[in-house]
Amino acid sequence: MKRAFVGLFIVLAFLSSALAAEVSLDVKEHVLANGMKILMIQKPGVPRVVCHIYFKVGSINERPGITGIAHVHEHMMFKGTKMLGVTDYEADAAIDREIDGLMDQIYRERFWKADGGDKVKIAQWQKRVDELVASEKKYIIKDELWELYMKNGGTGLNASTSNETTGYYVTLPSNKVELQMLLESDRMINAYFREFYSEKDVVMEERRLSENRPGSLFDEQVTAAFYAASPYHWDVIGWMDDLRKFTKQDMIDFHNRYYVPNNAVAIYVGDFNPETIIAQAEKYFGRIPKGPDLEPIRTSEPPQHSEKRIYGEGPGPTRLQLMFHIPPDGNPDNPALQVLAGVLGSGGGFGFGMRGGGGGGTGRLNKVLVEEKQVAVNASASSRAQWYVGAFQFSATPRLDKKVRPEDLEKEVWAMIDDIKKNGVTENEIQMAKNKRESMFLRSLQSPMGLASSVGRAELNRGWRAMLTDIQDIKKITNDDIKRVAARYFVKDNSLAAIYTRQRGE
Amino acid sequence: MRATMRRNFALVVVLGCLGLTAGFAQVEKPSDLKYPALKYEPPDPKACRTSFANGLRGYVQEDHSLPVVNLSATINYGHPYDSKDKVGLGQLLGATLIKGGTKSKPGNVIEERIDFLGGSLNFTVSERTFTPSTVNDRTSTLSLFVLSKDLDEGLGLFFDVLMNPEFREDPFKLARARLIEGLRQANDQPSTVLTREYERLLYGDGPLTWEPTRKSYDGLTAADLKAVHARFFYPKNIILAAAGDFSKADLVKKVNKIIGPWENGKAVIPAFAKTFPEVEPGVYFIQKKINQGYISLGHLGIEDTNPDYYAVQVMNFILGGGSFTSRITTKVRSDEGLAYNTGSRFSYRWGFPGTLSGYVQTKSATVGYAISLILKEFERIRQEPVSDGELATAVDYYLESFSDSFSSPMTTMGNFAALDMQGKPMDYYKTYRDKIRLVTKDRVLEVAKKYLHPEKAAILIVGDWEPCNKGGDQFPGPLDKLGQVHRISLRDPMTGEDIKAQ
Repeated sequence: MKRAFVGLFIVLAFLSSALAAEVSLDVKEHVLANGMKILMIQKPGVPRVVCHIYFKVGSINERPGITGIAHVHEHMMFKGTKMLGVTDYEADAAIDREIDGLMDQIYRERFWKADGGDKVKIAQWQKRVDELVASEKKYIIKDELWELYMKNGGTGLNASTSNETTGYYVTLPSNKVELQMLLESDRMINAYFREFYSEKDVVMEERRLSENRPGSLFDEQVTAAFYAASPYHWDVIGWMDDLRKFTKQDMIDFHNRYYVPNNAVAIYVGDFNPETIIAQAEKYFGRIPKGPDLEPIRTSEPPQHSEKRIYGEGPGPTRLQLMFHIPPDGNPDNPALQVLAGVLGSGGGFGFGMRGGGGGGTGRLNKVLVEEKQVAVNASASSRAQWYVGAFQFSATPRLDKKVRPEDLEKEVWAMIDDIKKNGVTENEIQMAKNKRESMFLRSLQSPMGLASSVGRAELNRGWRAMLTDIQDIKKITNDDIKRVAARYFVKDNSLAAIYTRQRGE
Repeated sequence: MRATMRRNFALVVVLGCLGLTAGFAQVEKPSDLKYPALKYEPPDPKACRTSFANGLRGYVQEDHSLPVVNLSATINYGHPYDSKDKVGLGQLLGATLIKGGTKSKPGNVIEERIDFLGGSLNFTVSERTFTPSTVNDRTSTLSLFVLSKDLDEGLGLFFDVLMNPEFREDPFKLARARLIEGLRQANDQPSTVLTREYERLLYGDGPLTWEPTRKSYDGLTAADLKAVHARFFYPKNIILAAAGDFSKADLVKKVNKIIGPWENGKAVIPAFAKTFPEVEPGVYFIQKKINQGYISLGHLGIEDTNPDYYAVQVMNFILGGGSFTSRITTKVRSDEGLAYNTGSRFSYRWGFPGTLSGYVQTKSATVGYAISLILKEFERIRQEPVSDGELATAVDYYLESFSDSFSSPMTTMGNFAALDMQGKPMDYYKTYRDKIRLVTKDRVLEVAKKYLHPEKAAILIVGDWEPCNKGGDQFPGPLDKLGQVHRISLRDPMTGEDIKAQ
């Protein structure tokens, strides 16, 4: 058992900035022999510990045919394991094998044949599946993991899947962290995917729920048009067709590939003894064998070479989005783009997970379009640098009472862009954006859950220390940098304009 | 810093046997785990209660872990205080208190300065639901975040906005125009429509459910805002909450110096009805061309000052409030795969009963079936005692997660300010766990019978009528099997008039 851990105490001195404050981010690190990383941030006081585990897997690890599987997998992780959620594993598994065989026949008949297959045969198989599902119920203990966490005082109990990462969350009393280690390591090694087919139904309901948000289907098309080649092309929820058709074997393959300790980081924030955490992590997560190395995503976005435009109508508010491709996280151009987003859309919080932007009072877009010219109800900008691709986005809602159209706002945004390319922005605007970025970082340190989430996710990409060096990089940005990135990225051939109009009568 | 924190928080944590770094017994199952003892006593509001000049009171906690300060002022004023001819005043006040500037500074100067300091200053006038940890029902909150080095300047701006707002003409007119534009979106989201219309159904037409229109906004003036400010914004009608990197004594001195000239008023807080006309049970349907039905079903509930509150919380946890450990979620989501989001909730309001609702969103064909399953669970928990295991899980959840209410000093101060504002006993948190421990299976059955009335439920559905009414295999329509169907028209949010007869 490894007893030593790497203790890192990084002090950030904001010497030359307006903040002149000293901030420390004290993260203790421990790496297991299987490659899994354990991060610890002590916050003594209330006897609770935020326990998060993050995997370097998301919708960008999918391919056509299995889109949405990362998210369905996250759901499946709550459906029990070989140890949990079942009274007699062998008996249950025997029934499941029969169900899987029948479902395989049904899928082949229904999805492989152009005419949808033999309906009578499908109905017969489905009837047998329904009987088996009913007979399986006596072995299943519903949602046992969830119940165990709840009765032990678990709060913030949840999981989420993004394009790049998947996280599993619980906050427990300080004396019960071991429960999280046991349950999370169990679902890594003993994953079982019980009730796979009915859970796909739940996720299809989740997709329908999001489809009912006005404009969401248009947004999905905008994303698909903007990202032509990279796996950011589809949303995390996946295409409905794939949700229907991917198989349990697809799920097992996905799990075995990505849910390995060398692709995971566990983070603990709260009132605990680090030595205890390390010892328990060695015991529970340390028992999992290391998996093969994982190759990064291959397909980035090729240059567009031409402007893209997309129009739609529906039951949502009329609006404009103007998007530009920018480089991925870690590229030296990103700090300038973040400051620019702060200048354009600053106010009401730095917003968008510190990507810069927001839609508030003092940003240039709001000042000019909402307050001075009074042509928009709101206007904002954000700079989103993702792991492999990025997007800088302008958004605005026109004043319909003044007969303003989204196209009019588009002209206004381009005029502002041209002015920035030529004249840059003011020193005061730059300093304000920098100050906000730095204080937002401080602010984020206040919440144990927020801290776990930002440090844990940062670790999976460029390492958590990048959170600190990014702030230093932001401080170096000058007006020349702003002019340079505006000229480089805000060009027609790199843009997509999306115009959505409220349908009449809606 | 740590000493101060411990003294004020009266925190007793005993973590026994945590030095277990070697020689673990082999654990195979969760039931094999043995946890060290942990004792926790909640912080004491009395230790944090602070008196300022002119009767202004607050809850204040030093916290030197980061060089930042959080401060909020909760004002006993909310939307429902507006009279019928002034509906929309709360929304307009929310949009202009800061932007409208003060006697000495235009709003944009205040906003730019706060932004330049990397701080934030926000004002909200509440909506109409709240949990026990936030006074969000009929109050307004001004909140400030600044770096501690900027505390003096932050305090100056904060109290200037709180005491001397001017509602200057240009920002006032712009805010009003933006609010009117925003009305266009009132019927966009099915969930917003459902929440609003469920309240209207259960509370009827009154101050709780009046909605602003273009006409009501157009009728409001800056003079109305000045009047409402003068009426409610004075020291004795406000409670502060503050936590951060400051000396408490210094903070009191600084605040007192600023608020010296601030005079008290005598607001008459409007009385709220505690009873509401009964709703005719049955199905209420709002047409929207979407692929699911959004459903809330139930009736009025209780106030959280009711002595049965604790038993009701435990009962609802088992029925549909405890997420995946609850009966409705297990049945409707896990067993049947009918919905992503389903359960039951008791909402609590300050000074009058909240609502009880079962809720689900499910594809049109299974709307009737999902409703029938929820109603069955309502009936079952009224007919038979819950199991020992269900009771233990619910009770343990409330006991073991209790310390979460104090997860940060500012959260704790906000919770104490909320208790004070609502006139609740200040030993609420101290006695909370004992009251939860007293809940038994018999008490759960008793309150289920007393407060759940599926036969009186109003079932509100927002969805597409034809497929919802047609139903599916497990529950073929029509929906009037669930009770008489009433079709409700949506209102044009601009005018408040029915869009069309249905």
